[in-house]
Amino acid sequence: MKPAPFAYVAATSVQHAIEALAAAGGDGKIIAGGQSLMPMLNFRLVRPSVLVDINRIPGLDRIEDTGKMLRIGALVRHRLTASDPLIAHHVPVLHEAMNHVAHHTVRNRGTFCGSLCHADPAAEMPMMALLLDAVVEITGPAGTRHLPVREFLVASLTTDLAPDELVTAVEIAKPAPGTGWGFAEFARRHGDYALACVAALVESRDGAACNVRIAAMGIGDTALRLSAAEAALEGSGFSDEEITRAVSALRDEIEPMSDLSGSADYRRHLAGELARNVLGEAWRRAAPEVPA
Amino acid sequence: MKDAGLSVEMRPKMVGSRVKRTEDPRLLSGTGQYVDDLHPAEMVHVAIVRSDQPHALIRDIRADAALDVPGLIGVYDFTDLEGEVSPAIPSSRMRNYYATPIWPLARGKVRFVGEAVVAVVATSRYAAEDAAGLIEIDYDPLPFASDPADAACHDAPLLHEEAGTNVIISREFQHGDIDEILHTAPVVVKGRFRMTRKSASAMECRSYLAQWDKRSRAITFHTSSNIPGIVRDVLSSSLGLPGHRLRVIAPEVGGSFGGKGSLYAEEILVCALARKLERPVKYVSDRLEELSSCSQAFDEWMDAQLAVDEQGHFLGLKADVIGDIGAYSIYPWTGALEPVQVISFMPGPYRVEHYHGRVRGVLTPKPATGPYRGVGRPSSTFAMERLVDMAARKLGMDPAEIRRRNLIRDEEFPYRTAPGIIWDKSAFQECLAAACDGADYTAMRAWQEEARAQGRWVGIGFASYAELTGIGSRIAVAPGMPINTGTETSTIRIDSTGAITADFGIASHGQGLETTLAQVVADELGCAFEDVRVRQGDSEVAPQSTGTYASRSAVLAGGAATKSSRVLKAKVLRAAAMLLDVSEEDLEANGGVIRSRSSNAVLTFREVADAVYNRMGAIPHDKREDLVSTETYDPYLGTACSSTHLCMVEVDLQTFGVTIHRYFVAEDCGRIINPMIVDGQVHGAVAQGVGAALLEEIHYGTDGQLQTGSFVDYLLPLASNMPDIGIAHVEAELPNNLGGFRGMGEGGTIGAPAAIANAISDALSPLGVEIETLPATPDRLFRLVTAKTQEISSQEGNKK
Repeated sequence: MKPAPFAYVAATSVQHAIEALAAAGGDGKIIAGGQSLMPMLNFRLVRPSVLVDINRIPGLDRIEDTGKMLRIGALVRHRLTASDPLIAHHVPVLHEAMNHVAHHTVRNRGTFCGSLCHADPAAEMPMMALLLDAVVEITGPAGTRHLPVREFLVASLTTDLAPDELVTAVEIAKPAPGTGWGFAEFARRHGDYALACVAALVESRDGAACNVRIAAMGIGDTALRLSAAEAALEGSGFSDEEITRAVSALRDEIEPMSDLSGSADYRRHLAGELARNVLGEAWRRAAPEVPA
Repeated sequence: MKDAGLSVEMRPKMVGSRVKRTEDPRLLSGTGQYVDDLHPAEMVHVAIVRSDQPHALIRDIRADAALDVPGLIGVYDFTDLEGEVSPAIPSSRMRNYYATPIWPLARGKVRFVGEAVVAVVATSRYAAEDAAGLIEIDYDPLPFASDPADAACHDAPLLHEEAGTNVIISREFQHGDIDEILHTAPVVVKGRFRMTRKSASAMECRSYLAQWDKRSRAITFHTSSNIPGIVRDVLSSSLGLPGHRLRVIAPEVGGSFGGKGSLYAEEILVCALARKLERPVKYVSDRLEELSSCSQAFDEWMDAQLAVDEQGHFLGLKADVIGDIGAYSIYPWTGALEPVQVISFMPGPYRVEHYHGRVRGVLTPKPATGPYRGVGRPSSTFAMERLVDMAARKLGMDPAEIRRRNLIRDEEFPYRTAPGIIWDKSAFQECLAAACDGADYTAMRAWQEEARAQGRWVGIGFASYAELTGIGSRIAVAPGMPINTGTETSTIRIDSTGAITADFGIASHGQGLETTLAQVVADELGCAFEDVRVRQGDSEVAPQSTGTYASRSAVLAGGAATKSSRVLKAKVLRAAAMLLDVSEEDLEANGGVIRSRSSNAVLTFREVADAVYNRMGAIPHDKREDLVSTETYDPYLGTACSSTHLCMVEVDLQTFGVTIHRYFVAEDCGRIINPMIVDGQVHGAVAQGVGAALLEEIHYGTDGQLQTGSFVDYLLPLASNMPDIGIAHVEAELPNNLGGFRGMGEGGTIGAPAAIANAISDALSPLGVEIETLPATPDRLFRLVTAKTQEISSQEGNKK
């Protein structure tokens, strides 16, 4: 279980990294935390000719408040995302989600952007980025482009990133003050990839739900936004019946897979139950005066 | 109590103390030395190309591209070792058994995905793997039956044609007339119990280093094994080297749990290559190789029925078991070890007069099954304890009460079970009582009632069992095995510096035996604990030994330590008596000091050694004897270690995840040498049992491919899965062996799966769900509950 031979470049700037990727002719791979990449290298599932290490590039390791947005740099470790006061204050749902991300050793190295680029259908970052309508900042030979995460995530383990491009940051719009949120995940062991995970955001305007956002993962080829369930609740009062309708909309719109950890039927059941909890929780936070 | 007559100074002090493990300073500071820490000069590395076919003929092996890899030394298949090694044959005196030969590399045919086919040797493991990746093997796939029931059919494709069948093991135990009992009994409960396949998953993967010494034409072989003596003996015949040219050392070994307790093809391979290349050769298995080629565990289907009368007394038991033993019979235990123990221990610690147990061990294209902590009894106890609870539920009887009525009582010992196991007196009943007291069973039931009233699924489960430990020479540890597993030898010497060295053939791999055996020696010899150095895990320090397994080392090596300490002590006192001019009877030794009761004169062990060895004339020349003693101990029979586990679990109504709220173990392991180590063994074994009950399962697809090739898919228990574990030590009567010890390293894995399965079944009893397959995963529980709910609602529909 040793990786195949590769050349190694310790990039000192974003430009340097882009040049190294270009020089690799489409066969380069960025390494930041390496928490998904190293096992894949060791299993020889990926065999890049060049590994471009971005860990020494200054300035990528911070979370910045740019006004309406929070900007998470390419070297921000899970440990920082989990403990950062800006995240805890402005995006509490993400703060909560970080409690479910792997274990300390992985969190100390793994990065938000790296996890997003890996696009695992059962990892938290792609799903949370979808929930929060994040925008991905991508730098390549032609300069920098910004892509909504919905378009960035293409399929399981597949993104829109070109071989000579690098994700330099992810930008998250701060949810409106008073936005209610909920998050629930179930894994067989704490820190494992989820059997199912659901998160929701909702705002209450005079008792009516608006801007309902529901995301899920572990129940499809990719992390998902559940638009049918969102639509079922938009404008509603989040009554038990309305939540139940949304849960059945959710169960109808997902196509979970069966694997060793769980059958499709079980995952469908689980996603619905988690959604029921999460929606109730989000609404209580959004409209605390309304009895649940 | 038998120590009461001794003077205060003479009472044992170390045995029974919570002595800190003397191994730990080096292990915890990173200065332990495992096989992979050894780097002799000129060492080369092996990578192994393994079969990706479950059953196929090897048509062609092409290595041309690999030969250009920088650092490559050579590529070897079975033809390169023909005539240089002979196979290991796991023979047995059992009838109806075929011993599959074990060769270092596949010979013309592969029989499971993961079987070693080609060895690639290079100057680094990286280069070896680069070259391995360039080797092409052409296979002609052969048909196969992956399911043991299919493989047992007479027309199934054969893995070993020479055997003429895939059913290479069959055994029956019959006592009384079970069919008549089942026909007439007021209550019969039955189930089809399934204990799925597991991996022992030691933290250190299997690691081997063979060094060829040109001068003496000898091999020194370092292996991460817990049976270095057995490995030495079999390699001696396989390689044609006498024991004095073949030294097998198990240095620090990072756990085994049974997985390192058998001979592996790779061990023969590495030694053969070292001799061929005349260079040190190292092979370290990686986790994928470990999960696909290390011995695996259990994998039994158990159809079992229990007959009881209206008062809950057991009348009879019937079990028909199929064991999926994989593609080879493992050396030296044979594929019979695990499945035969399932039926020989099925009646457990209970009075069961009528019994019929039948087992078939079937070859399938998977890695061989072999020893795994608990061997056989985790499965048999799971089936039996489930039946006990099912019977109690049917009778409306408390599960503690039905056990109380059937556990063998004090006056019945020694008790011979229907399959012929003899239980010496052990705390069967007392452990049940101690578990109920220690865990506060009454309060647990009250808590459960409260939770149930809130609609929660909370349940309580028991498991009572006994295991045969410290087995002497009356029976081999594995059925019919022609290897002496009934003795252990200890040599203790005091040298001319006064240092005390105690040599054993056993091979500690985490048990802390360097500590516990030094405790025994210190008490029996009367020396200071700190002055004893225990050497073990080295074939050179004992003429014969089989190692550490089957809960035997405390009993057998502890007994050997006791015997040789006593002989050596007599020598020390004889010398001291001459030096002090008193009688031997006047002397006592404690803590390294020999004291004359009459004169209060003292001598240290060191002074005695100095006089014996260095001071000519201090001892009359015709009375002088070396301060060395070698003694062998054979307990002849084994001794029962008994226990009751009691736990409370909750099944989440939404996720079907299981949480263990409470866990309690009451056990009788005889005289405790070191309570801290005993507690640690209980904690670790329960953790392993929690894995078997809730998480761990090796999966093979119908295509014969391994689907759990990493720890992402093969789930081991984490600290966060573990409950606090309460422990009560119960001592009934000391067993009739030297020291009064019972073996206890395995027990937790035996009780935990059954107790947890019973607790989950109790939690779901309002729905009538009975757990028959482990692990009880959320998906399995979801499907069981959904099926029962649908059944109930359709019945209600029919009523309307």
